[in-house]
Amino acid sequence: MKRGRARSVFIGICVAPAVILFIIFMLIPTINVFKMSLYKWGGYSNNKTFVGLNNFKILMEDMNFFRSFQNTILLIIIVTIVTMALSLIFAAILSREEIKGQNFYRIVFYIPNILSVVVISAIFSAIYDPNNGLLNSIIGIFRGSDKTPILWLGDQKLVIYSLAIAMIWQAIGYYMVMYMASMASVPQSLYESANLEGAGRVQQFFSITLPLIWTNVRTTLTFFVISSINLSFLFVKALTGGGPDGSTEVFLSYMYKQAYTNSSYGYGMAVGVVVFLFSFGLSALINFVTKREPLEF
Amino acid sequence: MKKKKVISALLVAAMAASLLAGCGNEGGNPTTGGQSGQPVGGGESSQPTDGGESSQPATGEEQVLKVAAFEGGYGAEMWSEVVAAFEASHPGVTVELTIDKKLEDVISPSMKAGEYPDVVHLATGREAALTETLTKENALLPLTDVLEMNVPGENVKVKDKIIPGFLDTLATNPYGDGVTYYAPMFYSPCGLFYNAGLFKEKGWDVPTTWEEMWALGDKAAEDGIALFTYPTTGYFDAFTYATLSSAGGSDFFNSCMTYEDGIWESENATKVFNLIEQLGKYTEATTVANANNDNFTKNQQLILDNKAIFCPNGTWLPGEMKDAPRADGFEWGFMAIPAVNAGGAGCSFCWFEQMWIPAAAQNQDLAKEFVAYMYSDEAAQIFAKSTAIQPIAGVSNYLEGDNKMFYSIYDNGATAVMGGFASTAPVEGVNMLDVLCGTVNSIVSGDKTVAEWQAAVESASDKLRAAME
Repeated sequence: MKRGRARSVFIGICVAPAVILFIIFMLIPTINVFKMSLYKWGGYSNNKTFVGLNNFKILMEDMNFFRSFQNTILLIIIVTIVTMALSLIFAAILSREEIKGQNFYRIVFYIPNILSVVVISAIFSAIYDPNNGLLNSIIGIFRGSDKTPILWLGDQKLVIYSLAIAMIWQAIGYYMVMYMASMASVPQSLYESANLEGAGRVQQFFSITLPLIWTNVRTTLTFFVISSINLSFLFVKALTGGGPDGSTEVFLSYMYKQAYTNSSYGYGMAVGVVVFLFSFGLSALINFVTKREPLEF
Repeated sequence: MKKKKVISALLVAAMAASLLAGCGNEGGNPTTGGQSGQPVGGGESSQPTDGGESSQPATGEEQVLKVAAFEGGYGAEMWSEVVAAFEASHPGVTVELTIDKKLEDVISPSMKAGEYPDVVHLATGREAALTETLTKENALLPLTDVLEMNVPGENVKVKDKIIPGFLDTLATNPYGDGVTYYAPMFYSPCGLFYNAGLFKEKGWDVPTTWEEMWALGDKAAEDGIALFTYPTTGYFDAFTYATLSSAGGSDFFNSCMTYEDGIWESENATKVFNLIEQLGKYTEATTVANANNDNFTKNQQLILDNKAIFCPNGTWLPGEMKDAPRADGFEWGFMAIPAVNAGGAGCSFCWFEQMWIPAAAQNQDLAKEFVAYMYSDEAAQIFAKSTAIQPIAGVSNYLEGDNKMFYSIYDNGATAVMGGFASTAPVEGVNMLDVLCGTVNSIVSGDKTVAEWQAAVESASDKLRAAME
C-alpha cells in the first residue's frame, strides 16, 4: 500500500513539469484567446469593454475575412493534395526502385525544408520576377512574339497559386522522408510474392505500400492542415504582404492585421477563435473520414 | 533500489525547476538594444557625465529617463549624440535609450506589462501601428504645456520655434480638437522623383500640369519608357492627400480626413479617383507584381534604369537607393505633384515623424523637458548632421547638395499639405488606408473599377465617422 503511494507521488513528480508547462503555455493562453474575443480592446490600455459575441457578429459580415477564409481553404486543399501525391510518388520511387544517387536525391529533396521561409520567399521572388525571373524566361522561349510578362505575384487570379507552388516546393521533402521511413518497414517478402503473382508496380503501390503505410498518411494529413495554416502566414508575410489588394490574405495574416495594424485586438482574437475551431474541426473530420482497420504485417 | 528512486526524483525536480527558472527572468535589465553608446550601467556611481564637478546642483537627485526611439533611415548615432548632449546639460539625469528598427517589437511587450518608456519617437503610419493604437486608446499625454515651455537653454517658447502650420494638423492633433499630442519631428516633403538626366538627354520639359503629364506619357511610350511607377501602394497616402488638397483646398482635405458624409463621392474627390485611374494606365506593366515589401526596390530601380519616369516617394529615396546601379548621366530630380485643377498650384504632402509621451509614463516632467529640448539649436544641429530635419525655421539651411533641392520644394510655389486621417475608436475590419491605397493595385491591374473603389472608400468613411468621438 505504502509502496503504491510512493509510486504515484513519483509519477506525479515526473509528469508535473510537462503538465505545468502545458498549462502555463498552452491552456491559459488558449483560454485567454477565447476570453479576449469577447472584448473590444486595443491591446495596450486598460480600456477593455465587454461586447459579448459582437466581434463574431461583425466577423460574419466581414467580406475580407471570408476572402482570407477562402484563400486558406484553397491553399490547404491544393497544397495537401499536390504535396501528398508528389511526396508519395517520390518516396515510392526512391525506396522501391534502384536508382543511382538515391541518397543524393533524398538530400536534395530535403534541403528546402531546412531553409527558412524567408530564404525560400527570396528564392521565389527571384523565380517569379516578371522581367528577369527564371519562370518567365523559360516560358518566354515557348511564347514566341508575345512579350508581355506574366505577373506571377501581380495577377490577382494567379498569385494564390504562385504561393501554393512555393509552399509545395518547401514541404515535399519533409513528407517524402516521412513516407520513406514507413515504406522501409514494409517487408520485402510481400513485394516478392506480389511479383510472383504478376502484380505490376502500380498495383503493388496501391495494394501493398499504400494500405500498409496508411496510419502514417493519416497522421501527416493532420500535419498538412496545421502547417498549411501556419506556413501560409509566413509565406504571405514574406512574399506578398497579403497583396495585391488583399488577394493573398490568409487566416493568420488577416488576424495579425486586425489585431495590430487595425488596433482591434479583441477582433483579432475572434478571428483566432475561428481559426482554432476550424483547424480543430477539420483535423477531427479528416481523422474520422480516413479511419481504417490498421493492417498488421 | 529506493536510493535510486530518490535520486531520480531529485533529478526530475531539478529539471523542472531549471525549466521554470527560465520563465521568470525578465524585468530586471532594460532592453538597451546595444546601440546606446552611453555608459548606462554606470548609473549608481554619482559621477557627473562630463567628468568635471557639476557646478549647478539643479535637481539634486538622480533621475532616469527612458527614451525609446525608432531607428529610421537617418541612423542610430544621432540619437546617442543627442542623449549625451541632453545629459550634459541636465546634471543628475541619466537617459536609458532604446533604439531599434523594429521599435514596436522591442518596447511593446513591457508596455503590455505596464512598463512604459517616458518618451517615444515613433511615427504614425507604420505596419504595427503602435502610435495609432495608443491614440485610439486615449493613452497619450497632451503636450499643451510643452508648447508653452521655454526651450531648455534658450529664451524662446517651443511653439514659437516650430514652423507655423506644423502644429495645426491632424498629424499633431490626432483627435482634431486642437490639442497637440504628437510633437512634430523630422519632416520630409513627398513628391515625384525622376531622372533629371533623362529629361536633358531626350530634350523633354518637366511637366507642370497633368495635361502635359499625359502628353509626356504618350511620347515616352514610343521610346518604351513608362510614365509612372510606385514602390508599394502605401505611398499613395501622401499622393492622395496632396491631390485631394490640390483638388478642393485645405478645408476639403480636412473634411476628407474627418470622414464627412458623402465627401468621397463629391466632385472633387471624383477628380482624384479618376486621376489615379488615368495614371494607372500609364503605370509600368510589372509594377503591381513588385509592389510588396520584398520587391518594392525593383520598382524604384525602374527610375534608375530609365524604364519609368516618375515615382512618388519621400526624400529618403536617394539614400535608400544610393548603392543601386543606374543609367549613365543619372541625376535625381524632384518635383511637387502637378495641380489637379488647371491653373492651381502644385502640391506636396509633408510627411513627418512624431514624438509623444505615453500617459502612463513614470517621469512625465522630465519627459516634457526632453521633448522641449529636441527643439533646441543644439539638438537640431546634431539631427541635421544626419540630414534629419526638424520643422524649426532655418534648419534646412544646414543642408547641402541634393537634399537642399528636396527641401526647397515649398519655396518654389508648391503648397504644403500636412495631416492624415483623424483618429477614431478602432472599427473592427475597417482600415481606411487599406481601402484607399491598397485598392490602387486593383485599379492598375483592372480588377476593380473606380466606381467600386469610390463606393468602398465612402462606406469605410461612414463606418469610421460613426466611431469618431
